[in-house]
Amino acid sequence: MRLFFRTLILFWVSFISFGKEGIGQKYQSVFEGVPAKKSGITFKNQLKEDQQNNILRYEYFYNGGGVAVGDLNNDGLDDIFFTGNMTGNKLYKNLGELKFEDMTKSAGIAGKDSWTTGVSMADVNGDGLLDIYVCYSGKKLPESRRNELWINEGNFKFSEKAKEYGIDDPSNSTQGLFFDFDNDGDLDLFLLNHHIEVINELEFDRERNARHPYAGDKLYRNEGGKFTDISEQAGIKGSALGFGLAVIASDINQDGWMDLLVTNDYIEPDYLYINKGDGTFEDQLPDHLQHISHFSMGADIADINNDGLPDIFTLDMLPEDNERQKLLYGPENYEQYNLMIRQGFHHQLMRNMLHLNRGNGYFSEVGQALGISNTDWSWSALFFDANNDGNKDLFITNGYYRDYTNRDFLKYKGDYYFKQAIAKEKADTLHLVTSMTSTPIHNYFFENQGNIQFKNLSLASGFSAKNFSSGAGFADLDNDGDLDLVVNHLNQVSEIFENKSSKGNWIQLALKFKGKNLSAIGATVEVYTGSQRFFQELQPVRGFQSSSSYRLHFGLGDQVKIDSILITWPDQKIQKLNSSPVNQLVTIEYQPTESDNQIKWTPIPLFEKQVTNLDFNPSLSSVNDFKRQPLLLTMPSHLGPIMGTADLNSDGNPEVFIGGSKGIPARMYTWKKGDWEVYRGFRSSADFTDAVVVFEDFNRDGALDLFLGSGGYQDYLTSDEALQDRFYLNDGTGVLVPQSSFPKYSISTGTAAVLDVNQDGFPDLFVGGKIIPGRYPEFPESKILVNDGRGNFSDQTSTYLKNPRIGMLTGSAVQDLNGDGNDDLILAGEFMAPKALIQTENGFEESLNYFDSNLSGWWNTMKQADMDGDGDLDLLLGNFGINSQLKASQEFPLSLYAADFDQNGSLDPIFECLIGDGYFPFASRDELLDQMVSMRSKFTDYASYSKAKIPDLFSAQELQNAQKLEIKTLESFYFENIGGEFKAHRLPSEAQYFPVYAIHISDVNEDGRMDVIFGGNQSQARIRIGKIDAGLGLVMVGLGEGQFRPLTPEESGLRIKGDIKSILEIKDGENKSFIFGINQKQPEIYRLK
Amino acid sequence: MKEKLILSWLYLFFILTSPVWAQKSGHNWAKIYSQELFRITEVMVTDVASPPVAARIYSYSTLGAYVTVLDSNPDLRFKDFLAFGNFPKPDFPFLETEIQSHEFAAVYAMFLVGEKIMPSGYLLKEAKENWIKKGLKEKIISKKNLDTHLQLAQKAADFVLDLARKDGYIQLTALTRYTPKEGEGFWFPTPPAYMAAVEPEWRTMKTFYLQNLEDFKPSAMAPFDLNEGSSFQIQLQEVYQVGKSLTEEQKLIANFWDCNPFKVEFSGHMAIGVKKISPGGHWIGITGIASEKANLSFAETAYIHALIGTTLHDAFVSCWKAKYDTNRIRPETVIHQKLDSDWKPLLQTPPFPEYTSGHSVISSASAEILTGYFGDSFDFVDSSEVYFGLPERAFSSFYQAAEEASISRLYGGIHFRDAIENGVAQGKKIGKTIWDRLD
Repeated sequence: MRLFFRTLILFWVSFISFGKEGIGQKYQSVFEGVPAKKSGITFKNQLKEDQQNNILRYEYFYNGGGVAVGDLNNDGLDDIFFTGNMTGNKLYKNLGELKFEDMTKSAGIAGKDSWTTGVSMADVNGDGLLDIYVCYSGKKLPESRRNELWINEGNFKFSEKAKEYGIDDPSNSTQGLFFDFDNDGDLDLFLLNHHIEVINELEFDRERNARHPYAGDKLYRNEGGKFTDISEQAGIKGSALGFGLAVIASDINQDGWMDLLVTNDYIEPDYLYINKGDGTFEDQLPDHLQHISHFSMGADIADINNDGLPDIFTLDMLPEDNERQKLLYGPENYEQYNLMIRQGFHHQLMRNMLHLNRGNGYFSEVGQALGISNTDWSWSALFFDANNDGNKDLFITNGYYRDYTNRDFLKYKGDYYFKQAIAKEKADTLHLVTSMTSTPIHNYFFENQGNIQFKNLSLASGFSAKNFSSGAGFADLDNDGDLDLVVNHLNQVSEIFENKSSKGNWIQLALKFKGKNLSAIGATVEVYTGSQRFFQELQPVRGFQSSSSYRLHFGLGDQVKIDSILITWPDQKIQKLNSSPVNQLVTIEYQPTESDNQIKWTPIPLFEKQVTNLDFNPSLSSVNDFKRQPLLLTMPSHLGPIMGTADLNSDGNPEVFIGGSKGIPARMYTWKKGDWEVYRGFRSSADFTDAVVVFEDFNRDGALDLFLGSGGYQDYLTSDEALQDRFYLNDGTGVLVPQSSFPKYSISTGTAAVLDVNQDGFPDLFVGGKIIPGRYPEFPESKILVNDGRGNFSDQTSTYLKNPRIGMLTGSAVQDLNGDGNDDLILAGEFMAPKALIQTENGFEESLNYFDSNLSGWWNTMKQADMDGDGDLDLLLGNFGINSQLKASQEFPLSLYAADFDQNGSLDPIFECLIGDGYFPFASRDELLDQMVSMRSKFTDYASYSKAKIPDLFSAQELQNAQKLEIKTLESFYFENIGGEFKAHRLPSEAQYFPVYAIHISDVNEDGRMDVIFGGNQSQARIRIGKIDAGLGLVMVGLGEGQFRPLTPEESGLRIKGDIKSILEIKDGENKSFIFGINQKQPEIYRLK
Repeated sequence: MKEKLILSWLYLFFILTSPVWAQKSGHNWAKIYSQELFRITEVMVTDVASPPVAARIYSYSTLGAYVTVLDSNPDLRFKDFLAFGNFPKPDFPFLETEIQSHEFAAVYAMFLVGEKIMPSGYLLKEAKENWIKKGLKEKIISKKNLDTHLQLAQKAADFVLDLARKDGYIQLTALTRYTPKEGEGFWFPTPPAYMAAVEPEWRTMKTFYLQNLEDFKPSAMAPFDLNEGSSFQIQLQEVYQVGKSLTEEQKLIANFWDCNPFKVEFSGHMAIGVKKISPGGHWIGITGIASEKANLSFAETAYIHALIGTTLHDAFVSCWKAKYDTNRIRPETVIHQKLDSDWKPLLQTPPFPEYTSGHSVISSASAEILTGYFGDSFDFVDSSEVYFGLPERAFSSFYQAAEEASISRLYGGIHFRDAIENGVAQGKKIGKTIWDRLD
């Protein structure tokens, strides 16, 4: 009965997540800039660069201005306020039909002659009229940058009362965010600030613990209309390291208290302030986000996959195209990175990050898989439904007026000073500034296609113009049922983008709360139609230095009827509206319904984590394979732990083998009903890195013997003794006795399989080589070892394998493919397609009939089982995944050229892949020059290398003589055995978010169909690739017919952080336990509930 | 002093413009040599050649000129070092035809070597063209003979470049990269740029004279020990205290001998690389100043420059071996960790381990050779750093200059005393070993 329920629940969920595929194509997002002549908007944030005012003197010179949108006169039309850094601010009244009137003069609201930054509209005094809070910064005296609060007195009359309210703060402010953090009914203020001086590394420790008067963020509590600074007591960080660029409020953990995301530029990590409900906040970022943007800029928080959970998006400065990637700054210094981690600055990488909310405080960063990670220096991020298809699309503004991280400029500046010195002339700073290149770039628009897929439609949807854009907001300015955009450009007239999409149905909600928070900041709304749920939080401050409309806009796609609307008011009272008509604005007054105790549906997880007394806890490894072969993409050393199980002494309690790596010997334990005991019958040395474990009764004495494949990379020589594979015979009592007669060979083993090659009934071995330490990607040898029936093996490779250098093998499976009664081999590995080797009279011969040769991949592991219940064995193959900077397709494979190009005795592996819209070498100039002296005179500056393609690096002759390998897909697949060949089925998106290193097949939900558990992640990649850690242990329920449905972590109960390298299932009685082997961490044990 | 400079400028102006004086014998060859060699220095600055790499470039460039001169079979004051070092014998004469000016070909050979050996060697194109123009205009060579001279230069350059190809340089990128050692007292990259360790495998480079690097191992350094009264702790305190109370003269000395080829200054996202000549470049500069003062012939100028260049190289190999044998922590790192997180050295800490002080080793080795060649009390005015806004400094001997260069590293806050003193001894031994075989 219990099982039945579980299945039922899982199916119900599956309707939700599958219900909306294919809607994206129907509605096209189109925006059109409204000419200034028509709109009347002439505001221009113009900068004046001179000796006093320039980027060398003021770090945030090009950050740009902000936008605030809101209905200031309650006429049903949203008005607009722009801020200008060095020019006066402007207020425009919305006259309807996208016509605006400049009210700045009559409203007296231009502000003062100081460096102006962010702006927000909020009804601070709760009189029903939106007020305007303007922030100031700059290098002048503190007095000059006191923030302004323009109290709305109706009819576009304002008076500045910041001092009266106690928020005329002189900090270097970026943005004010009004929200009710203590749920007392009035609006409090979080003031986001930034430092204006660069902090020296040496001063980090001291500065981190001190509150800086002007750089530190502040929290002001509203005490009856007067604001009090409670930052210190509320746990708000305020160090000089804070370079706050965005703050977004959201109830991240759904406990009814508003949490905060603060993004920080430079070394200081972002903050994820969890509201503890007692008047304090706690930054719990590292607990929730495993890696974050480095130079974080703008941000947004919204539910992008309609699962009712707010997802987090932060912006950074990684460009999309190859030229700018290679030309501009990008971190590659391992020592500096490690120092950053050691000093507690967390894993920070330079690109946009999308943290998908997986529930219960767990997030998976999938920005690269979604294709939204590289948008250059980006300021505003806004999620909103542009085409009303029910999915929130993404708009990003970007651009930095001078390319001042240009790497040539760093050297050029040095040369300039040197030359001026030699010429006995004074160096001119302004000359340096103006000699920096200026590269305008287009804004980005990504259309949400549903099912967590985004499509870059920047050019097609109306954002092809190249410019510099900063603050932005969205609102339905012409009340035509779609959201328009307002963008503050730098050194160019600001623009309104009219939404002209072919769109679906919609509904807009205007919420009227009570007391001093009439505009209902902090309310959440869920709209239910058919099987869909749309979720939004009312938080106008989003993106960068800006605030958007208070009206909540929901796109509904084809839905013509709304089943219900559920409003959770800021006081946590719930109001339910039934069946509202669509395509209209609905004003909702506060009238909470009785049942305010909503029953939150939570699934019963399949697995439950177990406390364990297992004492296998390897220390962190500092082995860095990039020191040995600097152009590798990931480190081959960190491959363990592998695991295996067998009842060696036939006492009914299984033994569990946990592999070691160099420096940490393998261990064997006995599992006794949840207790672990060290097993005495086995010993291994710490020289080896265990890569393959096989338990098999090789001498047919009824006791299981052990084959251990030695692998790894480390500092092993190509013919290292520690690469010798090992063989142990079971003496019958469970003691494993090492066999010195086992064939001697040094191969870094990647896989092994038991098969009978000579039809003598005794199990023989296929041993697949993976890598030659120091010589990647040269193919190592593989072996056929023939068993005489007593456990004596002889190396008969030459008889059975014509070319033993098959590839860089990671997986092998044995089955009789052609039905001739003989064992055949299926092999998988890095940079190869799955390969079938058929046993013939002349040994193994490759057959091309079984696999599509276009499926060359970065295959890490392979498992076989009858997945569809048709009696034959199907395959699951784990690939590298699509959540990284590496791209591979049929058209643009990830290629690898290898040769000793510079003839210095080392192999030079050169990766080539799609970067932006072209095919380029992956290595940065510094990396390439570090590998090959000859390249130093070929590419004497970054500019020349930024355009270089592979033929510019090497001659046609050199390339022809080089080893060439390809990867055409990075996705993990299910291969269905359809008799005589394997049909490839791409696995669901969730299986593509991380490299898969461990696959376990089992019927975990006991429905008679095989399910799959994927484990993986990769924390040992190049800094530029960074940690790939989106996998938390993925359970995919088999639906039969080779279909799988991925479970959310909430459903599965698996929440494993780290690189899973092996999964083992053990039974005691009725109980099934699953052990997860995690690289450099203690294994985790989960029990099936 | 200023007058003197103006006079010499006038003199140069005169000889460059007056055809009557533009005889071969009328050339101030020592000065011309230095000026042309500076073209190579400029390219090194552009390329940001690290100190050991710069010394290698100086070695081969100056050897290019010297080997050309040897082709003329000149009378030299001291023995030909090619006969003693690890050099193959050049196949003289390079050409069977008569050569009008070995000087002309020698400078050209210097450029040809520099062009190939430096990443941005192509930047010498203009220097090469100007040199040919000058040679023709000043009738150092005739138009008819130009090709022959260029051929001679090419022969000499080929000989030198063949040496360079086999010295282990291109093999360096095949070796495992450096990983900072774990544990207390070991070097770790330093702020602000945390640059990777410079040339950790430089010990594998071929030397010109030193047969066994073990013979030139410095005396043992004080072991890492922070206990009150330990040698290390006392030296640590010395760097710390001296750094906190520097006199103006000490600051001047530290800056004068800074010679950091690439000092990175950060301003937020922007970094500025401030470039200077390397320590080796400074001693090449001094060699030029001395050659000019001693009125050396071209052959002698080429001799002493190549000898200093190759000595610098050997000294760097020996010193770099010591650095990566010991992997000692820099004062900045340990002071920041243990004493004072606000302390900053006057000079930016260069990106390699501390022991021994490179400037001490190479300055002492150079002074040893220069003293042997020019004599004990050869006074001179060092104007090598005038470009960088630093004043000239007068020295009564090469030893005095070397001693000042050495102790400047203490003032600069980048070395402990034993790295300086034992580095001086190491350098002297290297210089003496080389000179003893030539004298």
